[in-house]
Amino acid sequence: MHIPDGFLSPQTYLPAYAVAAGAWTWAARGLRDRLDETTVPRLAMLTALAYGLGLVMVPVPGGTSGHMLGIALLALTFGVRLAFLAYSLVLLLQALLFGAGGITALPINALAMGLVGATAAAAAKGLLARINEMAAIAVAAWLSVVLPAAIVALVLGIQPAIAHQPDGTPLFFPFGIDITLPAVLIPHLIIGIGEAALTVVIWRYANSRGWCK
Amino acid sequence: MSARGWLLAYLAAVVAATLIHEPLVLATALALALSAAGRDRWRLLRRTLVAILAFNITVSLGYVVVAVWRGDFSAGYLLLVNLRVLLLVFLGMWFAARIDVVAALGVSPTLTLVATLTLGQLRAFERIVSDFTLAFASRNPAPPRTLDRAHHAAAQGIALMDKTMAAATESAMAMKSRGAFDA
Repeated sequence: MHIPDGFLSPQTYLPAYAVAAGAWTWAARGLRDRLDETTVPRLAMLTALAYGLGLVMVPVPGGTSGHMLGIALLALTFGVRLAFLAYSLVLLLQALLFGAGGITALPINALAMGLVGATAAAAAKGLLARINEMAAIAVAAWLSVVLPAAIVALVLGIQPAIAHQPDGTPLFFPFGIDITLPAVLIPHLIIGIGEAALTVVIWRYANSRGWCK
Repeated sequence: MSARGWLLAYLAAVVAATLIHEPLVLATALALALSAAGRDRWRLLRRTLVAILAFNITVSLGYVVVAVWRGDFSAGYLLLVNLRVLLLVFLGMWFAARIDVVAALGVSPTLTLVATLTLGQLRAFERIVSDFTLAFASRNPAPPRTLDRAHHAAAQGIALMDKTMAAATESAMAMKSRGAFDA
């Protein structure tokens, strides 16, 4: 669900960078103490997996892309802070190496997919794990896709209202929320099901290998 | 110029490109960037076009349909937004091709460590996927069935995780032996 470069106004991405900088600082605090020779390989492997999943993307008419994230796996294994940092790294590498997403869209993409996605996944698992762990992981993964998709749709949808020519012609993204919300959200309701299934399969496999805490 | 200097210049150019709303100025900036990119310019431009093509066609066609239906179509907008995206993505590709991105960022030694390991895993992913694809093709002279493709994808997924985990563990142990995780 990356927002590509060039579709967000400076009125959006500059304040978003300020917010993201605060979130990155919070997430990076005490990072050294949370990483050792057992966590680093697992983090690198799951980060690379998230990177690979994110590159298989299909354009969505609402102006973004549909793809799996892998953020739920990162959040459930390492917690919200490490997952957010790792996913921000994924987004940065995808933007610079493949032109997927972009440097102007990085803070919104990172806050939506990395922070909100990871928080939603961790919260859902925390709330539902006592009932059924696998169902909790599936719901966590589904939410980790759907909530960020809603945020991305809203941010794209407000662009024509906040950046336009005097005659109303848009300067950045052209569609309003009435178009972006259904166009982005509906495909991601389905993509979320795929993400949930994949996350459960990988989680079970990773557990069998002792990669999850 | 240092890697950090290139990073700052790149970021300044990105912000400037989003503050300019004149297609002619953006086209001139793109021409300048192409001429400054040296011998790699056409390879970078090709990669840029491949990266943006699907999205920009989708958004542009969507805009044409909606704007014509509403009666407020603007060819100038289409030109502006496509030129801006092309310029921004080209600048990113050029920057990444010229500079060691991880070193240029250099915000935290620990994050640099994770980034370097992750990039190593990505290379391992690419190699394994290529090996599996070639092996699968060599075993299937006729087009494979969907079930065969599913089995292949599952086997490839397991191999990807196992091999990259093993490679990352080896790297981490090697780094530990050199004191990378010492406080």
